[in-house]
Amino acid sequence: MATEVEQHVNTEIESGIAWIRLNRPEKMNAIGALTRQQLSEALKQAERDDGVRVVVLTGTGRAFSSGADVTEMAQGAGMRTPEDVGRVLRSDYMPMLVRLRTMPKPAIAAMNGPAIGIGASFALACDIRIGTPDSYLLEAFVNIGLAPDGGVSWLLPRLAGSGVAYEMFFTGKPLAAAEAHRLGVINRIVPADRLEEEVRNLANQLAAQPRQAMAGAKRAVNHALNSTFEEAMEFESYLQEAQAASPEFAEGVQSFLARRASKK
Amino acid sequence: MGYDHILVAVEPPIATITLNRPKVLNALSPDLIRELTTALAELDADETIRAAVLTGGPKVFAAGADIGDMADQGPVDQLLRDQTGRWAPLAGFKKPLIAAVNGYALGGGCEIALMCDLIVAGDSARFGQPEINLGIIPGAGGTQRWPRTAGKYVAMEVMLTGAPVTAQRAYELGIVNKVVPAEATILVATRLAREIAAKPPLAVRMAKEAVLKAFEAPLSEGLASERKSFYFLFATEDQKEGMRAFLEKRKGVFKGR
Repeated sequence: MATEVEQHVNTEIESGIAWIRLNRPEKMNAIGALTRQQLSEALKQAERDDGVRVVVLTGTGRAFSSGADVTEMAQGAGMRTPEDVGRVLRSDYMPMLVRLRTMPKPAIAAMNGPAIGIGASFALACDIRIGTPDSYLLEAFVNIGLAPDGGVSWLLPRLAGSGVAYEMFFTGKPLAAAEAHRLGVINRIVPADRLEEEVRNLANQLAAQPRQAMAGAKRAVNHALNSTFEEAMEFESYLQEAQAASPEFAEGVQSFLARRASKK
Repeated sequence: MGYDHILVAVEPPIATITLNRPKVLNALSPDLIRELTTALAELDADETIRAAVLTGGPKVFAAGADIGDMADQGPVDQLLRDQTGRWAPLAGFKKPLIAAVNGYALGGGCEIALMCDLIVAGDSARFGQPEINLGIIPGAGGTQRWPRTAGKYVAMEVMLTGAPVTAQRAYELGIVNKVVPAEATILVATRLAREIAAKPPLAVRMAKEAVLKAFEAPLSEGLASERKSFYFLFATEDQKEGMRAFLEKRKGVFKGR
């Protein structure tokens, strides 16, 4: 009998929400070759599946993710040379992180614990982050003589400002949940034992929202991040025009008017 | 007349041509090209039409020529069939032709887009010349029109790597006029066509000719030709109407005379 393939990533779909869980608690959800392959597949499926309206990315156990599996790297599994490092970033991580940022549905990071290195990249590439008091973000690259990767040179300056980003990159010190929350990098901090419930509540709420309108918001933001104010406004105006012609808008106006009428 | 591979919607003063082989991502078969050139010739002759939109619909512009159709051909087959020479009339359309591009505009699809006068791209648009991967090169103007618009280095990258560029990059490179949400691409292109269709047609035609001349002729010749067109337009009724309307602070009504 063939040995069962380890499940580094578990996906459960529950009332329109895909819970994608990094599932190597004994390794603090370190991301190795198999994890990358399974996570990539899970994200692809979650994007394609029309039944999935919201994606939640989280970790099993104490950590969100401790980042790249350094033991595996040291053993040379798929990362033998510096070239391998670059290739894995370009062909494995880049498509996944781009997918999170551009998939036409909300992606929420449920930060059940530390998000380190590439783990932090996955948290930061999500649209919304909910953290626990003990969670933190850490760009530890400098501690082992590396420069930032996984998109954080782009993401962190935009989310936290370049001063905070540089301090993290230069010192290799963590950005604690409370500070990340104060900076707006983490949307909300909730007690650890309530994280899943709080994330479920938010995800349920988003799953009930008009999906094309939310997808439009992601497209508008992604376009705006690459354009001038005028270009962004013009893009918005066309998006809105299409949205104003959609059944979602017709339904939205109807229920708005109905609610107002029922108030009388 | 009826077409099998394209749809033509004539709504004066504009017309919209939609490449319509969705099952094969609008692959540009010789039959499709024949229909397209025929339709453009008809629109060119139709005085009620003042601008046209060319699109592949909401999902894809055109993913290239029919490879299945070419795989086993020899050079003489290609020459006798005039595979890409038959496309040339597309660039000879005298009225403004606006490409509305969603999704892939690859190979011949990209070359057709580059034959248009303006390009409106949906955010899903991707432009590229992947011919190199098949052991050939673009054959309908790609190697010539890319460098003339985006410059040598971009053109080399596109031809030699075969990797497509995104709508946003295409916009930054100046080969696309606007990036809009994909569901609005055709609408925006149509509006642009209507806006241009309201301008004096003879001036529009001379302006198009003059700009295209910049890619063909030395500067002195282009300038001389521009001057002649400029003087010529003073012989038109539309120039009289245009200037009178301007002085009377009203909107001109143009007849193309």
